[in-house]
Amino acid sequence: MEKLEDQYTAALRDSIAGKGESSLQQAYELGRRALADGLGVLDMAAMYHKALTACLSRHSTPEETELMLRAGASFFAESRSPFEMTHRGFRETNIGLRHLNQTLEQEIKRIAHALHDEAGQLLASVYLALEEVAGNLPPAREHLLKVKGLLDLIEGQLRRLSHELRPTILDDLGLLSALKFLAEGVAARTGLLITVEGDSELSLPPLLSTTLYRIVQEGFTNVTRHAKATQVNVTIQHELQTLRCSVKDNGIGFDVSSLSARIGDRGLGMIGIRERLNSLGGSLSLVSTPGQGTELVITIPHTNSLES
Amino acid sequence: MASEAVIPITTDIDVVAARQKGRELATVLGFVSTDSTLLATAISELARNIIRYARYGEILISSVQSGERVGITVVARDKGPGIANISLAMQDGFSTSGGLGLGLPGVKRMMDEFHLVSDANRTSTACLWQWSTGWGMANRRLRQPILLSPH
Repeated sequence: MEKLEDQYTAALRDSIAGKGESSLQQAYELGRRALADGLGVLDMAAMYHKALTACLSRHSTPEETELMLRAGASFFAESRSPFEMTHRGFRETNIGLRHLNQTLEQEIKRIAHALHDEAGQLLASVYLALEEVAGNLPPAREHLLKVKGLLDLIEGQLRRLSHELRPTILDDLGLLSALKFLAEGVAARTGLLITVEGDSELSLPPLLSTTLYRIVQEGFTNVTRHAKATQVNVTIQHELQTLRCSVKDNGIGFDVSSLSARIGDRGLGMIGIRERLNSLGGSLSLVSTPGQGTELVITIPHTNSLES
Repeated sequence: MASEAVIPITTDIDVVAARQKGRELATVLGFVSTDSTLLATAISELARNIIRYARYGEILISSVQSGERVGITVVARDKGPGIANISLAMQDGFSTSGGLGLGLPGVKRMMDEFHLVSDANRTSTACLWQWSTGWGMANRRLRQPILLSPH
């Protein structure tokens, strides 16, 4: 099979020679093939430049050169059109993910509210009913006290979960305090030893702190589910114009290359995180080796307005 | 030039003819070159689908006017196997493009409007409109929009 590059040059030559629509259709088909072969827009620009250089003649008059360049521009646009299609698809997907994240935040707020307020009110009714039963059945009072003790635990747990879901502490006291609160809850439930370190003076815009909170939350979930770790260290550092957040565990680790291919299958968590990071210009990386723990590192460009 | 053309589609040469018609009409209506390229791309994808899945079909290209706006409608018709699941066909990755966002979902993104119908007689109709953004030549009077009904 003739090389893509040679075919591209031959088709461009046809286009410059005035073969019109058939050469433009060919440009489109070649662009489609290039896309399927994994070439990028810069590769296409380089291929075009090379082909055009090969086609231009030194003996052309300025008028001829102008006509050639005009034909070449149409050819170039046609061969880039499949990339435009995929680009639009990517943009659409990203917008969809953003909406999904916004819906998710609203849903989290709703669930947090239901846990805190609605379940709380129901529990209050149960307390009243228990009091009534205790009044009517004095011998049962001791048993009922035990039940009340359990209900107290449930109420505490529900309140904590609702605060973890959408922590008002994030808005009031900032990211570090919110993460410490989250870590306490996760540690209490899982037995993990968790430390959270960072600059307590760090002041971040709400979108940034919510994003980092959600990422660390997802990180804790992954450690709990997969890592078999005993210890997790979270650090947040502001270095020059970058915010760096690391969630590091001492668990079993894994082969990163085998996970990356399946990242789309790992539920909404990671996909959602990627979109949140994309919209902030941030990036995420996983560093792990089997047997040597895992580190999730997030970097987001950020200039602290106090420092700038 | 006539503001409507019907191009039978069976081979790659017909695809070129259909693109040619679309581009000619786009030029008459004052489409900017980027829009002409998008239109040609959409025609290519629709014609490709006909050849690949139905072997034979036709593409109708005509001008439309709605109020002050002028545009182009492309209708692709074929009597192929039909599209059993339209919502599936509109998902990226369903077609042979391997999830690159080409095929029908890609066409939809290129155009201002897009509809897909596949009825019991196994006829697929993709109708799309692209409105001219170059208003310079748009004052000429064109006939009313053609009525599009599923076939």
